[in-house]
Amino acid sequence: MKHFDVYRIISVSLRTGVILSMVSIISGIVIIMVNGGADGYTLAQIASYSKSQTLYSSLIPLNNLFTGMYQLDGAFYVAFGLWVLIFTPITVVVIALISFIETRNKLYIALSSCVLFVLFFAMLVVPHFLS
Amino acid sequence: MYELLAIILKFISIVFGGILAGFIGSLTGLGGGTVLVPLLSIFYGVPIVFATGASLISTIATSAGSASAYTKEKIANIKIGVGLEVATTIGAVVGSLLTVYLDHHALTWLIYVIFGIVLLGSLVPAVKRGQSELPPHTRPDWTTRIFELSGKYHDARLKKDVDYNGIRWWLGEIIMFFAGTVSGLLGIGSGALKVLGMDWAMNLPMKVTTTTSNFMIGITAATGSSIYWYSGYIQIFIAAATAIGVVIGAYFGAKALVKITNKDIRWIFLAILSFLGVEMIIRGFVTDKIFFMVPLIQFSISIVIAVVFIAVLYLHNLRRLRSVEAL
Repeated sequence: MKHFDVYRIISVSLRTGVILSMVSIISGIVIIMVNGGADGYTLAQIASYSKSQTLYSSLIPLNNLFTGMYQLDGAFYVAFGLWVLIFTPITVVVIALISFIETRNKLYIALSSCVLFVLFFAMLVVPHFLS
Repeated sequence: MYELLAIILKFISIVFGGILAGFIGSLTGLGGGTVLVPLLSIFYGVPIVFATGASLISTIATSAGSASAYTKEKIANIKIGVGLEVATTIGAVVGSLLTVYLDHHALTWLIYVIFGIVLLGSLVPAVKRGQSELPPHTRPDWTTRIFELSGKYHDARLKKDVDYNGIRWWLGEIIMFFAGTVSGLLGIGSGALKVLGMDWAMNLPMKVTTTTSNFMIGITAATGSSIYWYSGYIQIFIAAATAIGVVIGAYFGAKALVKITNKDIRWIFLAILSFLGVEMIIRGFVTDKIFFMVPLIQFSISIVIAVVFIAVLYLHNLRRLRSVEAL
């Protein structure tokens, strides 16, 4: 059985996640500046701190994430970058789970599955109660 | 054209705030969010929920950034981290739902006040940090065996391999639940509470505690972030700027931490943090018009209380160091 270095894989995936997300966020902001707005909002609105005017997370339709990116809409690039960032630590748990499966450590397979369950509960179930 | 320039400057100014927060956060070991939330809400006039949202996102960025460096040294204990994450993620769900509740019921002033109290409270362990590197030797208990809490790492400064046994896993879990709740409620990593859980409750060495906590902070923050996202607390312009800034700041903070030989410099930053803590408490009451105060008086009161607070901590620390030397 091929042994794999969990620490190294975790380190590399964390770094890749941060870099990918930073690149996406920065390009999104540049596109927003160049286009003078995004997702139907003007530049002034996007930069505003007022909750009644500005563009905040729940207003961005995630279903259109890739269409938005294809249409070179900056807001979707920022949103993509932020979601890559949110998913980055989750990959760590997945990698840990794989390593526990490899060593057949039942207790830790259960514990890491538990963590993943709570994570996806927060992402998929809780939002339904919020809206 | 003029408007574009103004907005670019606004963006850069938030990035700069993020750099400052990341720098102080990593130098004091409290994390970027602890500085970022007060900075944004007091000095930039950002509504508290947008400040906590931006901060939580930035917390993931710094945690992932520094954890990628730490895990290479193989000090962080993945088993302990994942095991305790069960409690922090559940806590993060509870905490972020609590924020949604407070926001919907016009109780956001409570977030300011709790933030201030947590900030001041986390300064106490931050002061003690780095003094005792290794925990007192204790016998492994039943959780050590079942949850495999033993480990070994090479300490470069002590120039030896350190063996350790974690104990009281259940107590660690209980504290981690609160750490997760605070993280979700306030949009910070709550590293101070995580360190308390592993250092005090589980009797782990400081190096293992800090690196494992750093690795856990990202997972906790990711849980809260998704709930924040759907509640609309992440304002993309602010979150983008702070995420970039905090990453840069934390990078330089970590570099500076190695170079700074005079540990007293930390006191200046701890003083700034205690000022922000007091200011947050006062701001909470003023924002919701529970009482009125002119900003100048507000700042003066905050400075006075902060100076007294930090002086007490400093003297207390000095006395303890003396008594350690006397032994």
